[in-house]
Amino acid sequence: MKRKILSVLLCAVMVVSMAVGCSSGNDGGSEEKQEDTASDEGESSDDSAKGGDVNGDGKIVVGYISKNIVDPFHAPINDYAKETLDGLVSDGTIDDWTGILDGETDANKQSDRADECIAKNCDYVIILPAEATASDAAVTKMADAGIQVIVVNSATDSTADVAMAYCGPNDVEAGEMLAQWVIDSVPDGGKYAHCQGVIGNSAQIQRGEGIENLMKDNDKFESVGDYPCEWQADKAANVATDMMNKYGDELVAIICDNDDMSSAAQKACNDAGRKDIVCVGVDGNQNPLQMVKDGDLGATVLQDGPGQVGAAIDLIKKALNGESTDKEVMVPFVLVTKDNVDEYLK
Amino acid sequence: MAKKEEKVLGMDREKFRMFMGKYGIGVILLIMMVFISIMEPAFRSGSNMVNVATQVSINAMIAYGMCLAITTEGIDLSVGAQLALVSCILGQLISNKGWGIIPAIVVAILVSTAWGTINGFLISKFNMFPFVVTLSTQLIIRGLAQVVSGGQAIPITDATFKQIYSAKLGPIPFPILVLILATILMYLVLHWTKFGRYVFAVGDNMQAAIASGVSIIKTKTATYAISGFLAGVAGVIFTAKTASAQSNIGVGYETDAVAACVLGGTSFAGGVTTVPGVLMGIFIIGFIYNGMNLIGIDSYYQSMTKGAVIIGAVLLDMVMNKKNS
Repeated sequence: MKRKILSVLLCAVMVVSMAVGCSSGNDGGSEEKQEDTASDEGESSDDSAKGGDVNGDGKIVVGYISKNIVDPFHAPINDYAKETLDGLVSDGTIDDWTGILDGETDANKQSDRADECIAKNCDYVIILPAEATASDAAVTKMADAGIQVIVVNSATDSTADVAMAYCGPNDVEAGEMLAQWVIDSVPDGGKYAHCQGVIGNSAQIQRGEGIENLMKDNDKFESVGDYPCEWQADKAANVATDMMNKYGDELVAIICDNDDMSSAAQKACNDAGRKDIVCVGVDGNQNPLQMVKDGDLGATVLQDGPGQVGAAIDLIKKALNGESTDKEVMVPFVLVTKDNVDEYLK
Repeated sequence: MAKKEEKVLGMDREKFRMFMGKYGIGVILLIMMVFISIMEPAFRSGSNMVNVATQVSINAMIAYGMCLAITTEGIDLSVGAQLALVSCILGQLISNKGWGIIPAIVVAILVSTAWGTINGFLISKFNMFPFVVTLSTQLIIRGLAQVVSGGQAIPITDATFKQIYSAKLGPIPFPILVLILATILMYLVLHWTKFGRYVFAVGDNMQAAIASGVSIIKTKTATYAISGFLAGVAGVIFTAKTASAQSNIGVGYETDAVAACVLGGTSFAGGVTTVPGVLMGIFIIGFIYNGMNLIGIDSYYQSMTKGAVIIGAVLLDMVMNKKNS
């Protein structure tokens, strides 16, 4: 029994010391911060030449919170950001950047990454939100900490209020472009299926809305259903084969929320000898672009991801030069067909 | 009588071994903290420590449930989906139905506890494999979450609800208080109550436990019910953190929980775990994430590093234990 009491006491001491350690550490931290700012004030005359130093610590640090590091769409965006920000560090425009922080397509993880950007005293943070609503906590948290936040690719709920700027596409427009392509390619109309991204994701919601905008008033086309495919190519291919089985020649098109799915669906159709089925999606990944070039896929709607993050970095450069910056930069989508595919295929 | 004495002695030896287990992983935790502090001084700051402790509170709740399940030679794969279901129920009740925060939280946690109970009942009553049962209920629970939310993200604008994650008592955010409370309660339940001894007995040797009159059904059902309850608490904190209810959250969260348990000396053979050990495992996982990002390790290498650190830590722990036993 004694041993038990002793062990419980030890455990309690551990927990309490942890809490106390945290709290006293916190006090120490804030004191340090105060000292820092005090010493900065002393030096501020030297540093005043450097415009755009948001937190005034004499160093320009840029944070970059990715949506994830695995999707074919996000890889080139991250690469472009890495290349450009590394360049800015080596030419002395900024002092440091965080490297690509992995958001794991998870708003909770992005909120944790935001804490780290705050801990690293970032002046500017570029974030590609995983979710419209859930990632908002990360954006507001950083804005509250005095960081200039630039939201890229998809806006969070309070982006317009708290962020320095938003650089991204209009996903409703992308959905409309998808529907328009199908309407133009299949003049006679018919049945179409819709492969969705992860349900609840803002790109999925808005692209679906865009498709619906055009298709609901078009009586030539009839939807056979929306199928949740979680952005996954193999799931879209399964939907394609299932729908061909079920509707045969009546099926004329498969609209997908991204083009990993549309290229897989088109491949399934082509393999089944149904090249006439029009599959189309959004993003402009390399594989679908290659299929467009080879004539296996009619078109894909290209989202200029590197262009979006490039616009965000341009805004930071402008702010560092003391220029005024736009609150919103809309980077347009491009319909890629055989005619212009060479411009985008690497 | 002699038999009983032997058992006590056996337990004592086991306890000593466990203590060394705790000690070993604590050393690893300390080494890690010193290493990261040298690499990146920002890691040491008090505010960063509070951040990490707040961040790990979600994984901690899940890991405590998980370590119970693993100790009974089981596993609970449904916890990620439980987060989603709890989140969607909270969203519907608070934002769409206008319920008060407390009744909504009570209902949400009751539902997750009920699912935990169902898991435990299926596993113990029909002697099904925990892996299979929770793999299946996970699908049902996530499906339910999609039904409840209608596939949409439901914003929760209630300021008081959001406070659950950000409110502070002095310098300590509320999730850390929950973590401390859960740690103490878990310690008492696992190491001080009859139920705790039953959990170890069932995991150590089920036949012997049955022979000594332990109800397998009651013990295992309660184990998974507690796991469900803790997943519910984690779901509430998670939802308050992101202020959004949606069905796609928590995918893969069981991985970090299992990793924390294993780091903390929980044995997949059953019958061995300690609450302080798991707590340290939880912090190691938290520091891996936090430290790698602060140091600026390229994110492409982070996943590899995480795997290597976990294997390394467990290996080191085992080597140290062998020396001492």
